[in-house]
Amino acid sequence: MLQRYDYISLMLILILLLVGCIAIFSATYTGTGDENGYFTRQLVWCIVGIITMILVSFISLKFVNRISYWLYGISLFLLILVLIIGKVGQGAERWLAIGPLHIQPSELAKLTTILAVSKFLSDKYADVNKFKYFAVSISLILMPFMLIAKQPDLGTALVFLAIIIPLLFWAGLNWFHIFTILTPLLTMILSFNLLAFMLLMLTIVVVLFFSRRKLIVLIAVFLLNIGVGIATPYLWGQLRPYQQQRILTFVNPEKDPKGAGYQIIQSQVAIGSGGTWGKGYLQGSQTHLRFLPAQHTDFIFSVIGEEFGFIGVVLVLLTYFMLILRFVQIASSIRGQFESMTVIGITTVIFFHMVINIGMTIGMAPVTGLPLPFLSYGGSSLVANMMMMGVVLNISRSKFAH
Amino acid sequence: MNELSRQQRKARQIILNTAIIVTMILLISGFFRIQVAGGEKYYEISMDNSVRPLMQYPVRGTIRDVNGMILVDDRPSFFVAVIPRLLTQTTIDTVARIIGEEPEFIREKIRGRRTYRPVFIKKDLEYNIVAELEEKKLDLPGVFVDVESKRYYPEGVSSPHIFGYVGEVDKNEAQRNAELEAGELIGKKGLEKEYDTSLRGTKGVYFTRVDAEGRDLGIIDPDRNIEPIRGMDLYLTLDYRFQQFAESLMVGKRGAIVALDPRNGQILGFVSKPDYDPRLLSGRISTDVWATLQGDTAHPLYSRVIQSVYPPGSTYKLIAAIAALQEGIITTQWTATCPGYFRLGRKTIHCWNAKGHGKINIMEAIRGSCNVFFYQLGLKIGLETWTKYSQMFHFGLRTNIDLPNESKGLVPTLDYYLKAYGPNGWTRGNLANLAIGQGELLTTPLQMAQFAMIIANKGVLHRPHIANYLYNEFSGARHFFPKETDYIKGISDEVYDLIREAMRRVVAGGTGWRGAVPGIDVAGKTGTSQNPHGDAHAWYIGFAPFDDPMIAIAVIVENGGGGGAVAAPIASKCMEKFFYNRLLPRAVVKKDTTVTDTLDTFMPMDLENFDRLRIGTPE
Repeated sequence: MLQRYDYISLMLILILLLVGCIAIFSATYTGTGDENGYFTRQLVWCIVGIITMILVSFISLKFVNRISYWLYGISLFLLILVLIIGKVGQGAERWLAIGPLHIQPSELAKLTTILAVSKFLSDKYADVNKFKYFAVSISLILMPFMLIAKQPDLGTALVFLAIIIPLLFWAGLNWFHIFTILTPLLTMILSFNLLAFMLLMLTIVVVLFFSRRKLIVLIAVFLLNIGVGIATPYLWGQLRPYQQQRILTFVNPEKDPKGAGYQIIQSQVAIGSGGTWGKGYLQGSQTHLRFLPAQHTDFIFSVIGEEFGFIGVVLVLLTYFMLILRFVQIASSIRGQFESMTVIGITTVIFFHMVINIGMTIGMAPVTGLPLPFLSYGGSSLVANMMMMGVVLNISRSKFAH
Repeated sequence: MNELSRQQRKARQIILNTAIIVTMILLISGFFRIQVAGGEKYYEISMDNSVRPLMQYPVRGTIRDVNGMILVDDRPSFFVAVIPRLLTQTTIDTVARIIGEEPEFIREKIRGRRTYRPVFIKKDLEYNIVAELEEKKLDLPGVFVDVESKRYYPEGVSSPHIFGYVGEVDKNEAQRNAELEAGELIGKKGLEKEYDTSLRGTKGVYFTRVDAEGRDLGIIDPDRNIEPIRGMDLYLTLDYRFQQFAESLMVGKRGAIVALDPRNGQILGFVSKPDYDPRLLSGRISTDVWATLQGDTAHPLYSRVIQSVYPPGSTYKLIAAIAALQEGIITTQWTATCPGYFRLGRKTIHCWNAKGHGKINIMEAIRGSCNVFFYQLGLKIGLETWTKYSQMFHFGLRTNIDLPNESKGLVPTLDYYLKAYGPNGWTRGNLANLAIGQGELLTTPLQMAQFAMIIANKGVLHRPHIANYLYNEFSGARHFFPKETDYIKGISDEVYDLIREAMRRVVAGGTGWRGAVPGIDVAGKTGTSQNPHGDAHAWYIGFAPFDDPMIAIAVIVENGGGGGAVAAPIASKCMEKFFYNRLLPRAVVKKDTTVTDTLDTFMPMDLENFDRLRIGTPE
């Protein structure tokens, strides 16, 4: 059975873990020989993560499939528990303390939600294009989303929103339905610009015209968009400036003068100053003068950018993309619907985390506090990610069985 | 068929791969832009290694009256400060000459400070002084001029108790609210505090590069700058011309006037005297001014309308009347005889009218404000019923007007007396006192105006408020504050009708005849409350027109004397101004011959002589 193991993915994952350890060492390097233990602890977490991944990759998939709903139920229960008795970390309740162990149920919930939705939509009669199945799938995702948003951990909550479209798309949601979900969101954003709004409405009319649906459905979709387009600026205008400011700060935290704007500028300076070839390992002045906030966790990528330059950045990015593309390949070549959807879900989670985190370090994405998978310091997210990797490796093993 | 066909899946894989590769190209080109194309610039910045965020403070919103007249505005104010360590003797002399002070003035300020920390010298500099200082900047090391924003009040605008003032964030406030930081200006009192978040606007920030010597190298990236957002404008419910008129009536007096619209709770006038010039507390507050205001024994910083509590005196007899009628304790025909005094145990208490009111019913008792009648009524009602009705009319509760630091007043309950005097410790004398609005009972002028509104509306109460709406300059949106209505339940219309009629008669020839307004049917009630601080406080509450009330008012003049003689005319003038927008020339008023013009005060009782009358203790 070891012949069937996906060694390519395994190698890519191990490379990323190694890069993470190297970067954390630099980020927390004090130069006095008096280390503060982040690096050692991350090494321990890596070993724990690798063991978890290997164990998960060998358990029975049938068993996982059977207990999917139970796992989902347990996750929801833990999320509710967090809201009641959770530990406060950085202003939000995210942690549950079980003895000496602190767990973050939202990390677990990502995987279990994907499993539950995949199981639900891999049912023999399930059809995501039927309203009942569509609605239940969306609800399965929105429940943990709301519980996590309430903590409030908006960054992690957004991950749940992000998996909706890829997961349902992969389950066979047809174009018209995807169009119907996406257009109101687009309308909401574009409604502040009259020209853009008009163009969008025109596009919608044209698309609807060629969609060959019932007239009543077409009118409903169109009116929905018009309604959203009119209501959004009106509701926005009703808000007080400081309320608007709060929303803008959430959507675009750089606009918060005291907060993220400063971090992004510092991160940009660090990365930009790395140039093409980088300043060399342990030579990053921004990193070592501690201008960077959260440099071993959320902003770990700026350490790589500063010390290894554009070349280092591209190499790490390519490693990520090879892993992601490899996963999509696995998902499309596997036969079972449950397995295939699960892989797509996991791929989306990793991809979303990566793009948002790395984009944030150069000001291309909002600051949401999402860690960079495999690289950021932190045991809880690392082990959760490795567990997901174990599931993918497990599935990829069965690929050849069919 | 729930699974996609191999071909469909292939198509979807291509779409996903395309999306992934496009994202990768975008990310890589982002890094290329700042690392390869912009690397030099960022490298340079990283060598200076300091980026300094410069906070940009927004312009504070204005406060305007109902007609849009600006009452409070924001203006720049220049000040001069010095760095003591860098000063020379000649510099001090030159600066002193420019700002028109003695050199000793500056030396006094920097005495004992030989630091690099700037020391503030003088605020509100004239433009020509600023120009001269800027011109000679190079010859005056250690001297700099800076600008700060300060509140500006147009001529004729005062009313510090409405507006409050703005001041620098202190340590406590900065700790409570992470958004605030030292040096920032926030509302400290009054409307400035209540609507601070709306008026203040939103801070912005510019990021500048600073080199090792602290020199400013300019903005890093204009796209990253965040412009401040101007605060919203606050429009009030009152017409400032009316407010000014009302204030003029109280010049030289201590006390308060509060007038509101009984139809919606909007404040029409809000006067608290003595007050201070709000300009004194605008911008940087000097410690001398502050100490003077704090130490003033007339308490000009106190907003008497909502913060001061007084015994309401005879105006409060209405509560006992309502309670007695509603509970069926007396009928409208029930009479008591006032011989001019009242015996309670061994003690004799006098009515304000020594000749006595004779045999009177409740209507006549209110009209003539007979103490003896209400002593008897109070004893019949009992403490618990009296307390219940006091609380029904929201006494002892904040009105929740949109101004901070409001007092609750005090409605003594049985528990209160048990705590204060011990078991069986309170006397029938206490009860008799409460019935005529004396004793431990305390109310704010606003509570009394609210009470007048409730009677005017026969039980409908609108939360008093002074802010009409907030105006957002950019969106043009007006945010109105909703009318908040409450209903006093359990009082029948007949009781209200009787009380209102009695109040009308108070003005039509009763103790409140000076509160009358020609051509307008006015209802009112006078009060003269004894207090330990000297002469009696003059009280008057009223509303008009009788059938369709448009104004409810409460007036108190501290130690002013009789309510009918002192407070009622003030209310009458306010109403004349309100209804006619001028004062009417008046013929000689013929007063009702049945009512004497003396004070309707009660004779203070010596509570110590009541010990034998403790309730529950047999004689």
